[in-house]
Amino acid sequence: MKKNDILIWVFVGAAVVVGGVAVWLIDGSGDSGSGLGDEFTYDVSEYGKTDAKLVMYQELPERFDTGMKACKAIAVSGKKIYVAGDNMIRVVGGKDIKLSGMPRCLAVGEGGKVFVGVDGHVEVYSGAGKQIGVWDSGGEKALFTSIAVYEDNIFVADAGRRVVVRYDLEGNVVNEIGRKDEKRNISGFVIPSPYFDLAVASDGLLRVVNPGEHRIEAYTFDGDLEFSWGEPGIKIEGFCGCCNPVNFAILGDGSFVTVEKGLVRVKLYDEDGKFSGVVAGVDALVPGGVAKACAFPADCQSGGFDVAVDSDGKIYVLDTRSGVVRYFVRKIEPLINTN
Amino acid sequence: MKDNMSRRRFLRECCWGGALGAVGLAAGFAASKAAGKDFVWQIDPFKCISCGNCATYCVLEESAVKCVHKHAMCGYCKLCTGYYEPEPVALDTAAENQLCPTGAIGRKYVEHPYYKYSIDEKLCNGCAKCVKGCSAFGNGSLFLQVRHDRCLNCNECSIAVACPSVAFVRVGVDKPYLIKGQAH
Ligand code: SF4
Ligand code: SF4
Ligand code: SF4
Repeated sequence: MKKNDILIWVFVGAAVVVGGVAVWLIDGSGDSGSGLGDEFTYDVSEYGKTDAKLVMYQELPERFDTGMKACKAIAVSGKKIYVAGDNMIRVVGGKDIKLSGMPRCLAVGEGGKVFVGVDGHVEVYSGAGKQIGVWDSGGEKALFTSIAVYEDNIFVADAGRRVVVRYDLEGNVVNEIGRKDEKRNISGFVIPSPYFDLAVASDGLLRVVNPGEHRIEAYTFDGDLEFSWGEPGIKIEGFCGCCNPVNFAILGDGSFVTVEKGLVRVKLYDEDGKFSGVVAGVDALVPGGVAKACAFPADCQSGGFDVAVDSDGKIYVLDTRSGVVRYFVRKIEPLINTN
Repeated sequence: MKDNMSRRRFLRECCWGGALGAVGLAAGFAASKAAGKDFVWQIDPFKCISCGNCATYCVLEESAVKCVHKHAMCGYCKLCTGYYEPEPVALDTAAENQLCPTGAIGRKYVEHPYYKYSIDEKLCNGCAKCVKGCSAFGNGSLFLQVRHDRCLNCNECSIAVACPSVAFVRVGVDKPYLIKGQAH
């Protein structure tokens, strides 16, 4: 070894020792924090706290474990609960239904007929679980994320093509709803991640989430935009993040139960869209208070919970992270003792 | 009381800091050369918890860790939660509404209502504030990566030692980045 090489190695060795001691002195483990100023810190956990006074519902102690690796959607009809995921529909109180692929949405019609969206097409199953129809695909870009059945109409939210497709019961396309159309004052759906929900309200108008605009829009079945409500905002009255709500359900009295991702919270709005209260806040739904969108690669553009309601006003929240169904009922106000 | 003194400032403000910094750089460079170039340090973006240590624990004066943006995963949102403060006054480009303290994120109108967000690496210190906002409330398309045009490939990456979530891993030099949405 040349003299110069030896000198370099002595120099390097000394530097490593000195550097090592210095790093040890200056908290090499990083345990005491980054040392960055306040302007660099962002405490998202603050937003996970819910004002207890706003919580109108309580969770029932029992839960239903779907046993699924990836559950996507929930529907309730009569006494039966349907959960779609893992290339199947799990029917609580009935027989499971095997599917050709991964479902993302489902709805239950007359006689327990099940309409399920698999990628970009609809499959139909009888109440006994027998396949009775596979409708034409919406095309390569189609990605069906929500289905609603109303009288002779099947409405499908296609997140891939950013449009609602109205079918008849045989699977023929009747018309499309919500495409950008300046003459009809329709700005079009903005769908940053694959969440795009719809339902028909008791006033007979279709409600569709425009997630990137943070609002719920009301359409006639022929596609006229009637009105909308909803505001972006991290505060409890608003819809947080880049695209919310991800899902919603409509209670018998016409009020809306909404679900947000990111800050996972389930909230209640009256039929005109005025904030009424909280069903379950982030602190109740997610361990640690704030959901991180990307716990796993596949989670990056997913992770939104789904919701359904029954005729008694019970709310069923499908926790897609832990694969369980959680039940919420209205809190019973304590009687005021006047004695 | 919160100690806001950065590690680099600590080094700078100690009388022997400058010299130590220079020695550390030389050591890192020599060590990386001696260790060969089969593997380099990289951040697994799915393990990173956006703690902020990447900004202050690198041996370089300006951290080799930068925020990167996977546009294919981005929603091009009008309300980008990596770009905006949680409660912005307006959805414009005013500094008061921006989350990034160094103004390193650019916002460009594409067409209604879409906007493209890009990182100016010269301004980014790898603090991960935007990463936190994007992964908590958005699509998670903003994340940190060690940029190999400046990383010294230290034998023992000092950020890796300080990383609370063990997000630093060794990857092959032929595939030096762990980009979200690509198998890794
Ligand atoms: S030190 Fe680790 S957890 Fe912290 S920002 Fe860097 S990679 Fe993420
Ligand atoms: S918030 Fe931090 S990590 Fe993000 S662009 Fe700005 S300086 Fe870089
Ligand atoms: S190996 Fe780690 S400490 Fe060394 S220059 Fe690269 S990022 Fe910085």
